[in-house]
Formats: sequence, C-alpha cells, structure tokens
Amino acid sequence: MSDNLKPLSVIAVIALIILAPAIRDALREEAATYVDDSESSHDGLPESWNDTQVFCVLFPDQTSHPKFTSGVTMIEQDGSTLGTNSEYNGTGACVGGFSGFENGLDLMDAAVNSSGTDLVYNLTEFSFGLQIDSIGGIEPCDATECSDSSGAYWALYHNGGTSLVGISDIILSEGDVLLWQIATW
Amino acid sequence: MYDFHNVALTPTQSLLLNICILSVIVFAVLRSERRLDDYNPIAMLGVLAIFGIAGRILLDPIPNFQPVTVIVLLAGIYYGAPRAVALAGIIALASNFAVLGHGPWTLFQVAGWGLVGFAGAFFADHLLKDGRLQLNRLAGLAIISAFAFDWVVSSSILLKTDVSMLAPYLLNGLLFDLYHAVGNLVFVAWLANPLGEIMLRHRVEPSSQSVSEVVTNR
Repeated sequence: MSDNLKPLSVIAVIALIILAPAIRDALREEAATYVDDSESSHDGLPESWNDTQVFCVLFPDQTSHPKFTSGVTMIEQDGSTLGTNSEYNGTGACVGGFSGFENGLDLMDAAVNSSGTDLVYNLTEFSFGLQIDSIGGIEPCDATECSDSSGAYWALYHNGGTSLVGISDIILSEGDVLLWQIATW
Repeated sequence: MYDFHNVALTPTQSLLLNICILSVIVFAVLRSERRLDDYNPIAMLGVLAIFGIAGRILLDPIPNFQPVTVIVLLAGIYYGAPRAVALAGIIALASNFAVLGHGPWTLFQVAGWGLVGFAGAFFADHLLKDGRLQLNRLAGLAIISAFAFDWVVSSSILLKTDVSMLAPYLLNGLLFDLYHAVGNLVFVAWLANPLGEIMLRHRVEPSSQSVSEVVTNR
C-alpha cells in the first residue's frame, strides 16, 4: 500500500479542499452552542437596546481615544448619541439597536459605519483568519509595554465570554453583544 | 530613483514565490549534504533545522501545512529522542523569533514537537526495518502526531482560561488539525523516503563501518 501513498495524499488534499467549507460551517454552528445567553451582557446598556444586537469597544484607561475619554458612549445605529454611561466598566463606545445580523464581521462593519470614523479598524489577513490590528487608531501595544516575551492584542468577547472563533466566523443571534477589549499575554 | 521593489503580491503569488524559494533551499540543502562525510548527525540536524525553519516560514500562507512535524518524527526515528527534542526547540524558537511571533505558545510548540520526537524514537523499531521506512505506519503516526501536537499547543489557553473552555476550543480547531494531518500525509508520501535515505547515511556509527574484519592476536 505504500506505493499508493502518493496518490492517496493527493486525494486527501483534494477531499479536504472540497469539504473544508462544510466542515468550517458545521464547526461554527457548534461553536455557537457554547456562547452564553445574551441577557447579562446587556447590563449597563440602554434598556431600549434589550433584545437587539450591540457592538462595543473598550479602550484602555492609559490610552486616550481622541473622542471617547470617559465612560462608555452609547451610539444608536443611525449615528446619534444616546448618552454616556460613566458607571460602565471601562471607557469606550457601544453601538446598538441592530437586528438581523448573522455574522460578527457584518455587525462590526455596520457599527463602525454608524460611528463615523471614530471606531475605524485595521486588520491583517492571515492564513488562519483575520487579526484586528487597531480600533479607533489604538493599537494593543499603545496600551501596554510589549517586548519579546510579552504582548497585547485586541480580544473579542461574545456575550461576555471569550469568543472561541474569530470575528468573521461568529454566528450571531438576536440580542447578542460583541465587545473588543485589549488583553495581554 | 526607481521603485522596483514596491511590488504588491496577492496571497497566491506570495505562496508560489515562497514555494519556489523553498524548492531552491531544499535543492541546495540536498546538494550540500553530499559533501558531508558519512556519519555526521550534528551537521545533518543543522540541515534539517534549516529545512524545518524555512519550510515553516515559507509555507505559512497555507494554514497548518508545514514539514516540521514529519522532520522531527524522522529525527526521533533516526537519531533518538534527545536530538529530536533539540531540533524541535531550535526550529520553533528560530522561526517564531524570526517571523511568526514568539510568546508562551513557543514553549507549548516545543513540548508538542518534543512529544512527536519521543514517539518517533519510541516506535523506531516498528517504523524502520532493515534500513527501510515503513511508510504506512509512519503515515499513521504522522497523522496522530498532527492532532497530538495541535492539542498540546491548544492547551496553552489554560494559562488564560479555565478547563471548561478547552473542549469547545479543541473542537473549533478541528479543521486546522485536519489541515495539519493531511499536510503530514503529503510530506510522508513525498519526502520521507528521500529524507530518510540521507538521514540513514548519517546514522551509522563509524566504528561499525571501519572494522570490517576481525583482528586476531598471534
């Protein structure tokens, strides 16, 4: 059978290329079952956003965003500002009132558009997926000292829990809350 | 004056370029190996390290498709666990420091590939018979090694999260594990025999070659 190993390897590559999208979709749906209920993740958000989809970015205290300097600014999907919650755990902005989004990246793009240019992000596309490099002009290593043995990154939370998949692989339900916050390693 | 180097490549063009560079490296490495004396395992490990580092960096555009696992597995079979672990450490550290990014995960990668090297050494008698690699068995172990390595590296999330996250995290990485497993199958099918023949030349102890006749006292 060892003579058959070369053609077998080629067949395996072709089969994987064909089956990969179906496997990825199945795993995305499986990942969605591990996401916590969205109810508690709406704490501190406007009541009018209950059961709607929300996108938040929290900036580190020691890094000043040119606009969001204290509390969390609540922005409606039409771009109008609802107010600022100074008791929310952090500084930044939330854009809410959305519904019907099924993909995390689509919700993020819609929210970023609603905020004007304040939450514009940059990303790098790797073979394993997307990496968010900066949000609102803030890079992770602006917030903390990075070295060869320590670093920082924009971490993604889905309904309060660490997301198991990247932003473009998140399957959303109504009422879900996405949140970006800088984490260190 | 001229901006000849300002050429933007698409991911596919970049991958093809990298494969060309890797082919040149493999060709050059194979040529240089012929100039090595027989039984020079340390120089051979250096050659394997170059191949592993270059392969890992240049094939990075393809997710989890790299030759390191199979190289370390073969090093375990031909040169034993200690040298395979050393090779794993050199490849992981050098490629992460140079390009891919160094952090706590490097230690888990060394542990994962070290485990693969141990497996190669442990099963060496079953994988290498009369100087010939048992390719089917090697392919099986390489596929298992892909999952084992990925799961060891994935366990690094326990530094930041609790154990309840581990199972869903591993489940979500299953597609990348499959990429790794199929990649290992490809490398075993196409590279194991030529690489194994070279490694075998640098495995034989010189003392067993040089004394070909029994010397008797008169």
